[in-house]
Amino acid sequence: MAELSDIKNETVRQEIEEYIQREDERAEIVSLYSRTSPLMQEIAAGIIGGKNKLVDELTRRALNDEKIDALVIMDDGLIAGMAIVGIKFRENFIFVPEVLSCARAMKAGMAHIDPILSASGVEPLGRVVMGTVKGDMHDIGKNLCIMMLRGAGFEVFDLGVDTSPDEFIDAVEEHDAKIVGMSALLTTTMPNMAKTIEAFIDADIRDDVKVMVGGAPVTPDFALEMDADSYGDNAVECVEIAKKLMSEIKSETRG
Amino acid sequence: MTIDGSELEKRLARIRGIFVDISQHAEKQMQLRCPYKNAQCQCTAKFGCRYQRKPTVGGDPLLCSHDDQFDFRSAWESDPESREKMRHQLRDIRKNRY
Repeated sequence: MAELSDIKNETVRQEIEEYIQREDERAEIVSLYSRTSPLMQEIAAGIIGGKNKLVDELTRRALNDEKIDALVIMDDGLIAGMAIVGIKFRENFIFVPEVLSCARAMKAGMAHIDPILSASGVEPLGRVVMGTVKGDMHDIGKNLCIMMLRGAGFEVFDLGVDTSPDEFIDAVEEHDAKIVGMSALLTTTMPNMAKTIEAFIDADIRDDVKVMVGGAPVTPDFALEMDADSYGDNAVECVEIAKKLMSEIKSETRG
Repeated sequence: MTIDGSELEKRLARIRGIFVDISQHAEKQMQLRCPYKNAQCQCTAKFGCRYQRKPTVGGDPLLCSHDDQFDFRSAWESDPESREKMRHQLRDIRKNRY
């Protein structure tokens, strides 16, 4: 049976000792990490610490210099790290801002895997442009949606907060995105979703994209009123909606 | 270097599983604890909030003083224009006073 002391990386050992309290989970995680290489443990520790640049550099080194298989990097580095992050979050040792940093670190690692996926014929489920509308600085809900969409296999372009209609239009054209996700948390900024959709019509791109909207004040009725294609209540639902919109796009293209 | 599609799908399913759990827990947690408040009780929001407090050490992020016992969202001041207007109004009030 694997022991905690079998794990070479001190950060990973400390994380397990301090935060993984359920016996079954601890045994499973110790068993997983005890068979992984020091470099994979370093990648996992980088993810747990939310260190983008470190994960970026280590993943590059693992793939290019050490010639480690991409699936092994995913299993033993990226997913292994994120598994500990998930448990720490569930047990309230860390919170949403830390989780989002960890997800960004994972994305930095996945960026090196993505070209291999393309070369293997694995294409993203779709391209999505996401942003919080003009005048609104809230980004947590949007960032959770982005994390979920990327995890599901979508390619996501994040425009951040306070995004003008022109910025949405430029991003759609630049990335040839088929879905736009708009978020607003205030009743005062919600009209800017409608203004952005109007701007899509003026720019003659409305028929080229599906628009999904979400955020605390937004309801399915409001979404209909502003002529959005779909409304999502939370990050999990956002993925289902994006998949549905992609299948609509595909059937429209075929038709 | 290439990847076997079905093997990859297994990994993506595991990532999705982890993220679904995270999102569901976040939804629940956000009912009372502000999602912009980190583990060190610092505020990571890019907007103003009544619960923000100055840090004890200069240069550190603002602290969050909310006690996680009730809905916090009414304290958010998120419209940059309104905030700017309010800032100007406050400056005018101060000018008139002194």
